[in-house]
Amino acid sequence: MTATTAEPAARDWRQTLVDRPAIALTGVLAVLYVVTATQAPGMFTFNGVRSTLLLACPLAILAASQTLCMLTAGIDLSTVMTANFAAYVAANQSGQGPLVALGLALCVGLAVGLVNGIGVGVFKVNPLIMTLGMASVLLGVVTVGLVGDGFLSGSTRLLPVLRTVASGTLFGPVPTNLLVWAVVAAALIFGLSRSGLGRAIYAVGDNPVACRLAGIRIWQVLLAVYLLSAVLAALGGLLFSGISGSVGPDQTNAYLLPSVAAAVIGGTSILGGVGGYTGTILGALILTVLNRLLLALDTTEAFRQILYGLIVLALAWVYVRVTGQRGA
Amino acid sequence: MTATPRAEVHTPLPRPSSRLERFGRRQGWVVGVALLLAALILWRSSQIPAFGAFEVRGIVAGTMTLALLAMAQSVIVISGGIDLSVGAMMVLGNCIAARLMLDQDLGTVVGVAVLVVVVAMVLSGLIGTVIVVSGVPDIVVTLAASFTLAGLALVVLDGPGGGTNPRFQELLVGGFDQPGPAILWLAGVLLVVWLPFKRSRLGIATYAVGSDRSAAFLSGVRVGRTRIVAYVMGGFFSGLAGLVTTAFTGSGEPRASIGATATLTSVAAVVLGGVALMGGSGTLLGPVLAAFCLALIPPLMLGLGWDPNYAEVARGVIIIVVVMIGGLLQIPRRSR
Repeated sequence: MTATTAEPAARDWRQTLVDRPAIALTGVLAVLYVVTATQAPGMFTFNGVRSTLLLACPLAILAASQTLCMLTAGIDLSTVMTANFAAYVAANQSGQGPLVALGLALCVGLAVGLVNGIGVGVFKVNPLIMTLGMASVLLGVVTVGLVGDGFLSGSTRLLPVLRTVASGTLFGPVPTNLLVWAVVAAALIFGLSRSGLGRAIYAVGDNPVACRLAGIRIWQVLLAVYLLSAVLAALGGLLFSGISGSVGPDQTNAYLLPSVAAAVIGGTSILGGVGGYTGTILGALILTVLNRLLLALDTTEAFRQILYGLIVLALAWVYVRVTGQRGA
Repeated sequence: MTATPRAEVHTPLPRPSSRLERFGRRQGWVVGVALLLAALILWRSSQIPAFGAFEVRGIVAGTMTLALLAMAQSVIVISGGIDLSVGAMMVLGNCIAARLMLDQDLGTVVGVAVLVVVVAMVLSGLIGTVIVVSGVPDIVVTLAASFTLAGLALVVLDGPGGGTNPRFQELLVGGFDQPGPAILWLAGVLLVVWLPFKRSRLGIATYAVGSDRSAAFLSGVRVGRTRIVAYVMGGFFSGLAGLVTTAFTGSGEPRASIGATATLTSVAAVVLGGVALMGGSGTLLGPVLAAFCLALIPPLMLGLGWDPNYAEVARGVIIIVVVMIGGLLQIPRRSR
């Protein structure tokens, strides 16, 4: 059926890239990985692969919450504070046993997500503002809880189970936290493409008016999205604390911008309705390898930051160019 | 007769709105913020036995940076964009100024000050150009730019340090009990830079582009150029903010987290100041007043004997609640 002239072939090639951004991103990742291997030794050993996967996991999970929010044309700036808070609570309450401690950390995520979701979904507060305000509130709550005999004061001890899951090795180059990541990834990829809620998330981000007319209860979708986002953030925070071996009130703050960048590089549009978690996984891996490469270069922290910003921008630019997915 | 008389449809003539109504509609929010600020200042003054020039200077000079950043963010938001790199730009300006101004005479220092503002305008214009040319969403571009600018600041100054001329400090933020210079500078920037810009063709184009890009394009506005100009204006205000930081602290500090916090607070001030994030409406006065309101919260809590750490909670709650109320107020107006 298809005419095999030169022009449509070129368009097909582009269309393939647009439809399957994962192909182009895998290429970028492979090239970047090889380049990094020339600078940093041991990238092709079990240990090199393992550390890349290990470090990419918390970033990818935090980026998962951004992906969900961005698909509905939102953003969650409170993820890292939620992650810090949840990890701190878990370490602080570890004396009560792992189940209670992890349950409390999960409750932190649920509470934050509930408030965010009600604000964005029911009261129609701009997501940027809602989550910005929430980040402010959480920062204050944590700071107040830490001073004197606040509710977070007292010793912190990392849960042994967290340490095992977050920084252990399953076999060969596979870290244990890949299990958690795989479950999250499978649930998100399957859920977004096959479940009703998943399709509704895309629809709400694409055209909220049409959604309302089609009878979708937008507020329920948004509430679910922000609940999931905050729970994922709490999970990411727990995993990060397991890797770093400590907890701190601001330890994942540096992940906020990379988590948004990972989703964007992965092809999720910040304007909503386009993208998915497959791309975000690759985006998180690309950023992790990029970080490794920059660390291997014999240069100052200052130049690393400059390069990081420029490369993220270049990747986003190329992506937009190739796919023709222009911002408004 | 044959046909029943048709019911006459009365379309009521639109009643011409009075001056007061128009003022209320356009400036109501700003007046509200101004009243809130007045109340907060009164409250604060009642907390301190001797509320005088010293305290006023402390508040004004300490908040000036934030007020200028709120202006930078406002211009860009009015044009329909957003800039998550204003804080990093301020830090970069601070570092350039502190490095070059150390132990210089006043003439050189003023020259450096002009240079800093020009550099900020050029860099911000570059960011705007990338946004317009590449089609990458503004949030992403400015997020990446915030990394790069923070890195540049570290190149300029690799740790806290640098300095400036004491005369320059006095000129910009005033001595310990002189609130005059800071107030004059803020008012001056609003009156001499913003008002003429707002009235000019470019200013009107900025509002038009922010309100509806396609409509502006169809009416002959050069959309790309106008958006870039908004970023250049933003760079002007961010550069000034960097200078004020230098004058207020007397040194440079290349910490990236300062920039990130300042950026987020600038967005909060813009929203509280009645500039819609959708673009196309609002003024610069509202965000400036809102910046002062936000800055007054920690000292007020301290005065109440509360843990000032609650200020962060209060700030977040206020931002959310105000935006919620704003949204509720606007529902009857929305025809959609």
